[in-house]
Amino acid sequence: MMKNIATVFRKEFYRVVSDKRLIFTTILLPGLAIYLMYSFLGGAMGNEFEDIQSHEMIVYVENVPEDFSDYLDTLDLNVIYTDYVPSEHDELLDLILIGEVDLLLRFPTTFNSDIDGGILSDVLTYYNPGEKYSEFSYGVYMTELNTYRQSVAYDRYGEAFYVFTTDINNDEHIIIDEDKAIGQGFAMLLPMLIIMFLFSGAMSIGPDSIAGEKERGTIATLLVTPVKRSEIAIGKVLSLSVISLFSASSSFIGIILSLPKLLQGTGEEISMNIYSMGDFVMLFTVLLATVLVIVGIISIISAYAKTIKEASMLILPFYFLSIVMGMSTMFSGEAHSNIFIYLIPLYNSINIIISILTFEVVATQYILTIVSSLGYVVIFIIILNKLFESEKIMFSK
Amino acid sequence: MQTLEVRNIIKTFKLSKKQQKLEKTKEKLKVAVNDLSFTAYPGEIFGLLGPNGAGKTTCLRAISTLIKPDSGDIIVGGSSVVKDSMDVRGKIGFLTSELKLEDHFTPSYLFTYFGKLHGIDEELIEKRKTVLFSRFGIDDFREVKVGDLSTGMKQKASIAISLVHNPEFVIFDEPTNGLDVLTARSVTDYLVELKHEGKTVILSTHILSVVDKLCDKVGIIINGKMKICDTLENVKKSHPSNDLEEIFFDLIEEDELGGNA
Ligand SMILES: Nc1ncnc2c1ncn2[C@@H]1O[C@H](COP(=O)(O)OP(=O)(O)OP(=O)(O)O)[C@@H](O)[C@H]1O
Ligand SMILES: [Mg+2]
Repeated sequence: MMKNIATVFRKEFYRVVSDKRLIFTTILLPGLAIYLMYSFLGGAMGNEFEDIQSHEMIVYVENVPEDFSDYLDTLDLNVIYTDYVPSEHDELLDLILIGEVDLLLRFPTTFNSDIDGGILSDVLTYYNPGEKYSEFSYGVYMTELNTYRQSVAYDRYGEAFYVFTTDINNDEHIIIDEDKAIGQGFAMLLPMLIIMFLFSGAMSIGPDSIAGEKERGTIATLLVTPVKRSEIAIGKVLSLSVISLFSASSSFIGIILSLPKLLQGTGEEISMNIYSMGDFVMLFTVLLATVLVIVGIISIISAYAKTIKEASMLILPFYFLSIVMGMSTMFSGEAHSNIFIYLIPLYNSINIIISILTFEVVATQYILTIVSSLGYVVIFIIILNKLFESEKIMFSK
Repeated sequence: MQTLEVRNIIKTFKLSKKQQKLEKTKEKLKVAVNDLSFTAYPGEIFGLLGPNGAGKTTCLRAISTLIKPDSGDIIVGGSSVVKDSMDVRGKIGFLTSELKLEDHFTPSYLFTYFGKLHGIDEELIEKRKTVLFSRFGIDDFREVKVGDLSTGMKQKASIAISLVHNPEFVIFDEPTNGLDVLTARSVTDYLVELKHEGKTVILSTHILSVVDKLCDKVGIIINGKMKICDTLENVKKSHPSNDLEEIFFDLIEEDELGGNA
């Protein structure tokens, strides 16, 4: 029994690893593509950030009060000021519209006397939110205007200005478990990606290995040997699972390698070493159970389909469904506590992966996920066995 | 015990719309094999003769357990295709054009692979490989991928692989199709050799000369029915011309008249 499974497994495995094209498309390409894509994305985002930071703001000003002007000078902003000329107002607005000028800041001529006289003064700002430099400049000056407003108010009213203060003497203001916060980030991102990678890995070889063999008439040669159909099914599912794991690992390595580039500019430091060996072992067992379920589903569809093309088509809805499941957790980043959730194939994996990544694994949920997944795999293999036994499915013309 | 006994097998196929058009019929069902019986004995070559679509391949596939008869049974050396299909598969060497070899692998790799699936130890597999590969002239391309072989080379590899486990029952569907005269001859010579070794050999063909030269017994199938089944000698004697071709045409004519009436 084991011998035949091993023979089928070895041959199926050898089929892929001895084929340069398949090695490239199923094992190297996914990781490479993801690495390049994310690095490019990270690079682009980083560049954008730097680009805006290094841009010299072009700001037109009118009647800037001296104390505010002095204050701005201390900030060392990268900016060129030009004086506003009322007769060129419309032209200036056009320049803001086309992005040549970033911001116009107008204080009323009576600003200082208004303040002194207790009259509400209106400062006018003009900017274009559709232009990144203008939008950025507006943000900078609004922040500084707010600071200025408060200092003016404080000057006038003293302590009475503050109706209340917040956290002036509270060192423990921010209570954050850094690891957990990072874990939360992973939990929002990874489950969907993991399911996607496992699925696409299995999708790239499953249809060829089963529907393809039907289409090319090579499965019949296998079926006239004194080998149990279940042995063929198990051998194929196991080898497809291992290859899918390789493919998914490749994607995963691609992500890990591109993380630093992806996060460059945001100044964040994130790494996977917040997790212990035990976490990784748990994660790996869940991945193993999950890939078996995915390969089981894909194998059944491939055995049912007449051609590779038909199989690929029929798999798509399941692929999308699994992505939707993964996405649903992206927003919450939280695992379900309902025990029955851990009986739903794939959805249980997604939830338990989140639990592991956020350090909140409940033993019963973990065990339920593994056991029910293996249960599904057994059912899938029984179905696959039936399909291999059916002459209608195997030899339909 | 090493006889192969086909007992009243019936096999009906459901026809798809496309097939109905191809067969020019409105019937939804096609009786491919209709109450067929015959027995093949060790040390004999049994020839199944019939025109295209007669049901030869269907009958042989039922023997190989790839398809199940609707009713009836086939007993291969004491094992029933219905009840002990695994045992049957272990005893037969089956060859038909529909059993393809995977393009990516070499004849040598596949020979070993199928040998293992038949439960043979590797040493014996290598021995049989040496014998069969030199016998069918496969040595020259034993390490070439099947996808790069010619039709005839593939056929030779298929034949060798179907015999990897030295089966007691050899069931070949049109074995000489696509082979040049030289290779065809080496195949038929080998079948005669197998017969002398005491194997039970069944082959199907629509080539009369093959039956004439090779077979000890012959069964003529037309439209899924066994029209005549006896030793070659007796079949020939049943007709004044003593000629297989005449008998064949008479039977077809008779069937067409019967079918129309
Ligand atoms: N899977 C199938 N589905 C539907 N009809 C089938 C199927 N297999 C065979 N048939 C039909 O059964 C009949 C017998 O076919 P079979 O292949 O046994 O003929 P054959 O004697 O081998 O002919 P040939 O000499 O052309 O190989 C044909 O009419 C064929 O169309
Ligand atoms: Mg045929």
